[in-house]
Amino acid sequence: MLSNFDFSVIVQSLPYLFGQGMVFTVTLTAMAAVGGVIIGTLLAMARLSGVPGLTQVAKGYVELCRSLPLVLVIFWFYFLVPYIGAYVTGSSTPIQVGAFPSALITFMAFEAAYFSEIMRAGIQSIPKGQTAAAQALGMNYWQTMGNVVLPQAFRNMLPLLLTQTIILFQDTSLVYVLSLTDFMGAASKVAQRDGRLVEMYIFAAVVYFVICFSASFLVRRLQRRVAIIR
Amino acid sequence: MTSSPMPAPTAAEPAVEAAYAPADAGLQPGHLVSGVPQAAPGETMIAIDNISKWYGDFQVLTNCTTKVAKGEVVVVCGPSGSGKSTLIKCVNALEPFQKGQITVAGTKVADKGTNLPKLRSRVGMVFQHFELFPHLSITDNLTIAQRKVLGRSAEDAKKRGLDLLARVGLGAHATKFPGQLSGGQQQRVAIARALAMNPVVMLFDEPTSALDPEMVGEVLDVMVELAKEGMTMMVVTHEMGFARKVADRVIFMDRGEIVEDAKKEDFFGSPRSERAQTFLSKILQH
Repeated sequence: MLSNFDFSVIVQSLPYLFGQGMVFTVTLTAMAAVGGVIIGTLLAMARLSGVPGLTQVAKGYVELCRSLPLVLVIFWFYFLVPYIGAYVTGSSTPIQVGAFPSALITFMAFEAAYFSEIMRAGIQSIPKGQTAAAQALGMNYWQTMGNVVLPQAFRNMLPLLLTQTIILFQDTSLVYVLSLTDFMGAASKVAQRDGRLVEMYIFAAVVYFVICFSASFLVRRLQRRVAIIR
Repeated sequence: MTSSPMPAPTAAEPAVEAAYAPADAGLQPGHLVSGVPQAAPGETMIAIDNISKWYGDFQVLTNCTTKVAKGEVVVVCGPSGSGKSTLIKCVNALEPFQKGQITVAGTKVADKGTNLPKLRSRVGMVFQHFELFPHLSITDNLTIAQRKVLGRSAEDAKKRGLDLLARVGLGAHATKFPGQLSGGQQQRVAIARALAMNPVVMLFDEPTSALDPEMVGEVLDVMVELAKEGMTMMVVTHEMGFARKVADRVIFMDRGEIVEDAKKEDFFGSPRSERAQTFLSKILQH
């Protein structure tokens, strides 16, 4: 059965698959993760701030993102943002956002909801006494957060944040709906051009599995090392 | 060869000893309070004026009024749940209160316009559970607020921090992390951290309650020294030995009220209220 397969197509397309596809996937994942953690942390702080209005807005946003399929949000963003941008800037024609910025903003904003839940748990895991001690030393809210609470929360939550990033790495394959060429998209294009669907999709699966499995393994090892001695 | 001055091994020993300070030297001579002793008695440092506080419907403080003069050491005691920790936390506004006013060194705590971080930076506080920052080294614990809040340079902050760390006998532990120190050592670092901010008042919230018995002494030593140097102190504690030794006044609280507010001699000699008598007889039995 395997005699019908031609695995040489994989070797020939490696530079394209990795040089373009994987570079795109990794770039998008890294930028979306960094942006998502920053926005997510701010959302978590807003939600825990106890400021009337702010708390509800943050909560509503998180709930909304968690209740919508990612593909829908990607589409929605891609087609609607040009019009919203036009409305905001007062332009008469839809502004050109481009597929990559659109995808990046979508992933940042969407993943922020998930990261914010992790950071919320992280912030809440820091004993109240730590905040009290920082305040007693004269630190204001931002100093307390920046110097005392968030560094500890990040450290406690690092394994979970990285695990979520691994999921994000897989989710980025959804950009194919915007005709962007990520690793999955590249594999798909080669597969259809050469009529080698099975070989390419098997190969893509193997690559995703190896990367994600190794990453999860490293996260577990890291988990044991970062715990703060109390 | 014979001309080279090779000291005898025995002669070198004292020098070696001096170079390697023991890991925990205990309280060292010298000032904990920077500059001259602060005592200039008379002037009011903390004025607590008719404070009441509620958690929902439950009243935790009822019309508490007292004063702490500059250089005075006031011990606050009472059964658990009597509101003594809550009262002391109201002084630097870690706990809000609904009625009354507290004035610390001329600044009204409950005023809307009061810059609370600035006020707190001048009021040192030591907690029951130390609350050192576990992700920072001892040096960073001592310097972070000096740099971020007071705007001191890294060198100045480090000099002040390490100086105080040496005074409390822990100079050898500067690069360690809080989790590597014993409870008593952590609490001494916490006192040094508060003192590094050059506070005008020090608040202690049951500083020895979470310690193993053999570590209580080393922390109390630092506090006694601090009191001797004229620091204005408000101390919530059950250590009646400490109260007898250094307190000027003792406040006894029960059920959110200040039941007795008396000079040390009067309090221990002849407490007026029955509740204070009962409390004293209970804790002085052993």
